[in-house]
Amino acid sequence: MNLEISIGDLQVRIFKLRLTNILVLMLFNSLFISAIFAQQKTRNPKSEIRNFLTCPIIRDSKTFPCWLVEYNGETYYLGQQGRSGSLFYPPQLKHQVLVEGRIKDGSRLCGGIVLEPVTISVMPELDLSCNTLLPAQDGLEPPPPIPYPENAPFADDTRNFTILFDFDSDFLSLHKTRIVGEVVRIAKVNGLKNIVIKTFRGTTLLSNGQKLIEKEEIAELRAGKLYDIFEGLGFAKEHIKLAIKTNPEKADGIIDVGKRRAEILIF
Amino acid sequence: MQRSFRIFIKNMKIKTFVLHVIFLVGLLSWVSDNENSWIQPGKGGILPAEVAFSNPNGTLGYVNVDGDINMEGHPFFEPLGTNGRACVSCHQPKDAMSVSTQSLQQRWNETQGQDPIFAAIDGSNNPKLPQQLESSHSLLLKRGLFRISLPWPVKTDNGKTIKPEFSIEVVSDPTGVNVDPELGLENGNISVFRRPRSVANMTYVMSPDPVFNIKTGTLAVTDPETGKVVGMNMMADSRHYTQKQQALDAYFGHLQGHNTLTDVQLKQILDFQNKLFMAQSHDKWGGKLVENGEPAGLGPHNMKAGKVHILANNNRDPIFHWFNNWKNKETMPQSLNAEQKDFRESVARGNDIFMFREFWIRDATHINSLGLGNPVRRSCATCHNGQMTAQDLAPGWVDLGTTTYPTWTENHLANQKSDLPIFKCTCNKNAAPHPFLGRVIYTTDPGRALISGKCIDIGSIVMQQFRGLSARAPYFVNGSAKTLHELVDYYDRRFDIKYTEQEKTDLVNFLSVL
Repeated sequence: MNLEISIGDLQVRIFKLRLTNILVLMLFNSLFISAIFAQQKTRNPKSEIRNFLTCPIIRDSKTFPCWLVEYNGETYYLGQQGRSGSLFYPPQLKHQVLVEGRIKDGSRLCGGIVLEPVTISVMPELDLSCNTLLPAQDGLEPPPPIPYPENAPFADDTRNFTILFDFDSDFLSLHKTRIVGEVVRIAKVNGLKNIVIKTFRGTTLLSNGQKLIEKEEIAELRAGKLYDIFEGLGFAKEHIKLAIKTNPEKADGIIDVGKRRAEILIF
Repeated sequence: MQRSFRIFIKNMKIKTFVLHVIFLVGLLSWVSDNENSWIQPGKGGILPAEVAFSNPNGTLGYVNVDGDINMEGHPFFEPLGTNGRACVSCHQPKDAMSVSTQSLQQRWNETQGQDPIFAAIDGSNNPKLPQQLESSHSLLLKRGLFRISLPWPVKTDNGKTIKPEFSIEVVSDPTGVNVDPELGLENGNISVFRRPRSVANMTYVMSPDPVFNIKTGTLAVTDPETGKVVGMNMMADSRHYTQKQQALDAYFGHLQGHNTLTDVQLKQILDFQNKLFMAQSHDKWGGKLVENGEPAGLGPHNMKAGKVHILANNNRDPIFHWFNNWKNKETMPQSLNAEQKDFRESVARGNDIFMFREFWIRDATHINSLGLGNPVRRSCATCHNGQMTAQDLAPGWVDLGTTTYPTWTENHLANQKSDLPIFKCTCNKNAAPHPFLGRVIYTTDPGRALISGKCIDIGSIVMQQFRGLSARAPYFVNGSAKTLHELVDYYDRRFDIKYTEQEKTDLVNFLSVL
């Protein structure tokens, strides 16, 4: 099977993928993703899920500013200001934010119902109406800063890696480049020269029933970026295989975050 | 035996005293000699291993690890091109290895505009203007700006093909250069006007972040010769990633060289830059800023001894360490007068403001768009995070807003006109827009975007080191802040910080001793 892939202006690249390899890879990865989200799915009845697009709100406090959103007359707490190493990356005023979260237990922080886990994606286009900065108010403070993730290395026998992306984004933040670094480290440790990068285009089912589909070229952009990085980090061109899924993934409103992804296999 | 020992000690004391006098006289003569001096290309002479130059706020000190430098025949100091310039023309030791408008104006007056620094190629607003007129060099004389002509549309960056995500139109250009059929956009060139950067403390400036570029989420750039990761903080737009590339480009461009630099010459230039450390050494009353190594963030010797690439936007070991001895008059040397003591207390407060006074940092691309959130309540040190230089440790391009409407430094008042060309950048439909200015951006300098071709980079300029500020006014890439006070005022306006006048003074005093 030949795949012809045009990635923006990176010119045409031709990668030969054996059909059997693709089928095995797809089967394996389907099982892998299903396993990751099966547990979450059972814990997440749909009534607790909140997926919506809205303007973020920042509230000052005596300690750290906290980030909130309003949806259907209710205020939700997303997280607090952190640093570039923090797991939660806050939204941006002047931009709408896609919130994909689950109500934790009904508790409130900074006046908002806590969503946890929560994933946010900053929408790229400007929306100047998103400009609410609330003053500090006694009793409305976020919890103490969450410690940085420990970033323990992956086990040396790991072969499959998943990188999740923000909606419509191919940007690799600090946490994501760390996974890339681990892929390269483990490949070197084990003398693995082959890498398969499979990228996807996501859809999010919003709580109001609308579907939000990522831009058409996003899977190609993600593949192109990862290809360049892995080539730059020492994988030979002929050992890098790309599989780009341009059709949008089906959305269920529960595990849509996990579908905006790149799956990486080394062998 | 005892008597001869006493005589020996006495002689030694006399010798030491005499040596001290000779050293001080030498130092003073250097300071006074260089007060109004300008190192002319090809002048020859010795640049001592330790040398000091006076400036309005005191004295700037240098330490060269390689010892004395014989300027005769040295490629940094020799006019190797065709227009009489050398590297030193725009990187004058008395001006913190950059060049100040004060020196430029003095040079114009002394040479009636004949100094090579005013060469038409880039020392003029437009090479086609009558070069004998002062007005033809107004951007250099008033703002310290040299013309940087870059290809547009950009086609490659670091060997990779680029297709720009935006188009550029000239809205207005008082210099005329960008609308000139030969020199302008029509013929594939865009001219922007920028300050030259200091070339000292370069081991700090060039130190790289490992493997990944946090600003782009891609691999960091590597030196094509060594394969090693390089820093990207040398130039305003990071267009050259190694000092060698920069030196060669300067030779062919600024010096109008027709041959090339040899490997030996390049090594000499790089060695000189990388072994030269500078920082303010004395206050304006002549008092030494550093006594027994403290404060550890000041003085050229501490610059030389410091560790490079230390992230220091924290309260454990801050950017310029601590000024504890300056917080209290009782811990200051008794020899200082009352004014000096007040000044030092002010500097210590300024350091605390720089480090810890929080404000809302907002709409700054490559800071607020990088996972910190917009806005983020932090301090100056958040972005100026590298120990000893206050440069960003990551590739430091940020759209602070000095070159982009509506926060640019031009046209504060409706009746003012910009001296600089104004461009309209329109982002392609499929490109990611500028995070805080959208798809149509008015700018006097697109900055990093002229190299990367990315809409998100429009207006992003690489931040500079904080050293030697007292010797190299004006400030910002476009020379818009004539004084440190104006620089602080810009930040105050830009981020609505609401500094008190005392806070502004403290910050200015703090910046003046770096």
